[in-house]
Amino acid sequence: MEVTDLAALSRAREGDPDAFRLLVERHSRVIFRVAYRMTGNEHDADDVVQETFLRAYKQLDAFEERANFSTWLHRIAVNCSLDLLRARGRHDKHRADLTSFDGDEERERELPSSDPQPDRLVLSAELQQHVAAAMNKLSGNERTAFILRHFEGMPVEEIGKTLGIQVNAAKHTIFRAVRKLRDALEPLVRPNPCST
Amino acid sequence: MQHLNEEQLVAHYYHDDEAPAVAESHLAACTECRLQYETIRRVLTLVGDAPVPERDEHYAEQVWTRLRWKLGARKRRAKWTSLIAAAAVLAVAFFAGQWWHARNLRNNNIPQIATTSTHGIQNVSATQPQQDRVLLVVVSDHLESSERMLAEVANANPHEQYDVPADRAADLVASNRMYRQSAANRGDQRIATLLSDLEPILTELAHAGKTLSPEEVASIQKRIESKQLLFKVRIVSAQTGSGGDKPVPAHSNSL
Repeated sequence: MEVTDLAALSRAREGDPDAFRLLVERHSRVIFRVAYRMTGNEHDADDVVQETFLRAYKQLDAFEERANFSTWLHRIAVNCSLDLLRARGRHDKHRADLTSFDGDEERERELPSSDPQPDRLVLSAELQQHVAAAMNKLSGNERTAFILRHFEGMPVEEIGKTLGIQVNAAKHTIFRAVRKLRDALEPLVRPNPCST
Repeated sequence: MQHLNEEQLVAHYYHDDEAPAVAESHLAACTECRLQYETIRRVLTLVGDAPVPERDEHYAEQVWTRLRWKLGARKRRAKWTSLIAAAAVLAVAFFAGQWWHARNLRNNNIPQIATTSTHGIQNVSATQPQQDRVLLVVVSDHLESSERMLAEVANANPHEQYDVPADRAADLVASNRMYRQSAANRGDQRIATLLSDLEPILTELAHAGKTLSPEEVASIQKRIESKQLLFKVRIVSAQTGSGGDKPVPAHSNSL
């Protein structure tokens, strides 16, 4: 019979290392994915995974059993990612880099709007750069809320808990993130009116 | 016809809208909104297509291998178990003290026995040291746990909320009170003062709720630092920890 997260957690609290190992095995790849989305860097994401489980282990007693373990772990991973980004000042650097994507220069880089359809394109390196730059325009909360909603499919209520904000605020944060992404990326995906 | 605004379109995309059927029928009828919605969908599809490097099936094992050496052994015991154990130890210490005290009173009329050792003369009436050693063992364990908690708070990011381990703090407050009273009763001012300094911080953590605001974190960190609390706890913890195995001089009043 499969051991639930809560059962493993309970045993880990009593000092059973195998129980904590089970939680690491079960969640590390998902946490890596979140960490990578947050940091945009493989090496940083690996560091965040380590730090997330280390913090989780130290704070096992703080976990409330009525909460969802995965949400709790996501929250720690997000905080670790934000700490790392702040510590390295990467946000600021990226923001500075973004100026080169604004204005006329970006307009010149616009891709053909209709053929082939953007959602069928294999993302080129240049497109990936645009997406990464657009993501870096988001604030910490916007980035977190967007990643959890868009990539992890986390319900808005859980995102609110993760960020420590109300549900409506979480919903609005997601909206702000999408609006910023749209502002930055719309020129790349503008549909041909004739095709609709 | 009232168009859907951008926020409603985004909510509809994520199925977070309260009346999806209404939005759906509007989109079917309104070209303008449908175009807006299509743009949002394309942007989000583009973002969603950004690849994430794959981690192989051994990734979890690699994470665990690197992690396991950083994890200290947990000494966690059940909340009530630890309190009952602490109370039991103190009760044993108390009755042992009473018994030794009564025994000494009976022996008052008997000349004190002295033994000669290579180090000189030692008094075998060792009431105080015996009790001190019992208290010393339990206080040492308590200080070690308190030190871990203080270190966590002291190292927390002062610009962020802090998740408070409130249950653990509540355990420590209860233990701290017992040990402080015991130390005061036994006249050990050094331990009693340290535990008195420690208690307000632990109490604040125990009653802080789920999280401390960045201002509260900074305030507690300042208090820990101004009283050099972490440093003092470490010193006394180290002394009591190592002192438990050493003979305590009969005249000593210190743990």
